[in-house]
Amino acid sequence: MKKTIRFVLNGYEVTAEVAAHKMLLEVLREGFQLTGAKEGCGQGECGACTVLVDGLSVNSCLYPILEVEGRSVTTVEGLLGEGNRLHPIQEAMVENGGIQCGFCTPGIVMSAKALLDEIPLPDEARIRRGIGGHLCRCTGYVQTVESIRRAAEKMAAQGERDS
Amino acid sequence: MKGFDYFQPGRLEEAYGLMETLGAEAGYIAGGTDILVRMKQKIIAPPALISLRRIEELARMGRDRGLLLGSMTPLRALEKSEEIAASYPCLSQAVASLANPQIRNVATVGGNLCNAAPSADCAPPLMVLGATLTIGGPGGERTLPVEDFFEGPGRTVLRREEILTGIAIPERVPGTGSAFLKLGRVSQDIAVINAAALVIMEGGVCRTCRLAVGAVAPTPLRLRGVERLVEGRRPDPELLAEVERGVRGEVNPITDVRSTEEYRREVSGVLLRRALEQAVRDVR
Repeated sequence: MKKTIRFVLNGYEVTAEVAAHKMLLEVLREGFQLTGAKEGCGQGECGACTVLVDGLSVNSCLYPILEVEGRSVTTVEGLLGEGNRLHPIQEAMVENGGIQCGFCTPGIVMSAKALLDEIPLPDEARIRRGIGGHLCRCTGYVQTVESIRRAAEKMAAQGERDS
Repeated sequence: MKGFDYFQPGRLEEAYGLMETLGAEAGYIAGGTDILVRMKQKIIAPPALISLRRIEELARMGRDRGLLLGSMTPLRALEKSEEIAASYPCLSQAVASLANPQIRNVATVGGNLCNAAPSADCAPPLMVLGATLTIGGPGGERTLPVEDFFEGPGRTVLRREEILTGIAIPERVPGTGSAFLKLGRVSQDIAVINAAALVIMEGGVCRTCRLAVGAVAPTPLRLRGVERLVEGRRPDPELLAEVERGVRGEVNPITDVRSTEEYRREVSGVLLRRALEQAVRDVR
């Protein structure tokens, strides 16, 4: 069973012909060559495949592709700013050692984005809850939490300067 | 995972019709965070899935004296609801402990019940809150108390074409307190044991007590024997010790990958006692 679907991908309207049994992750990686989201466990435990659908974090390995019809999907590639500038969350991950092997990083960045969109200055407990759906095999959680905290502070300061 | 067809009806009747046409092996899919995992693990291989996500009437949250939850209400909506946090804290606490943000954003309250895991975190709180389920099917609707819904691990009273459409929670009465506690290996894990308690107090005496526990029997369990022990008495240390002993006698746990029978029996008593204490402290 094949179907043509339309959705918004990183701000662009896209159309894709997909097999009904595909998950969003497969279509992103194989159809659109967006390889930021990774397949780790494939079962909703590790969070490496996390993307945003209508602003909410989801495991794209468990998200049936036909369900994105009419919705807006954001992947880590969609966070790049003008001139390919990294998003403040990505910058903070680089600056604070939040990345080791990097496999879990795109997913964590997307969960951090969803968290900070909802709660601009979360405390540490809230950050830990926010990334509770991620596993880092390098176990670099302390630096990850620190990176998100720093990103939040930077973004809040930036927001104040801009307003 | 084997290929499958995927249907997205917009109305309930359409969904029943599709199930009738597609035959015995087709399945309904809600948020999909359990069924898709079982398909990937090749435990099941339905040739067709009927998604309930486009049926608007299933995703509504409303009021009719108590609270009405459409079965497709995502757990995230329950977690964020101020009304649930204020009136039904045990349900709020259960949802907050369930899995992680990505799962809660798509998993639904109805899906949690229909999978009928003995450890389903939504079951004990809905049982102590006295929730009623509405089930729809081609022949019409029926309603039943949530504790009559489960038949065994992964089994419910739902007939093949039927869909759990809604959950009705009675209005909170003054003097009520409730609590949910869960024991897992790490926070947000599948429960080794989960427990919910609800009390309605009158002048320091417990007029109504409802206790439920999960993962210690083939289905989530109401502890009616222990409830009768509590009703009409003051929740003093002596009664709490009796509760602990009573729970150990009423549960029927097994040994599995997450825990042993002996541990579950012992600790379910402790967990229920603590849940009861917390529910008493929550009385408003």
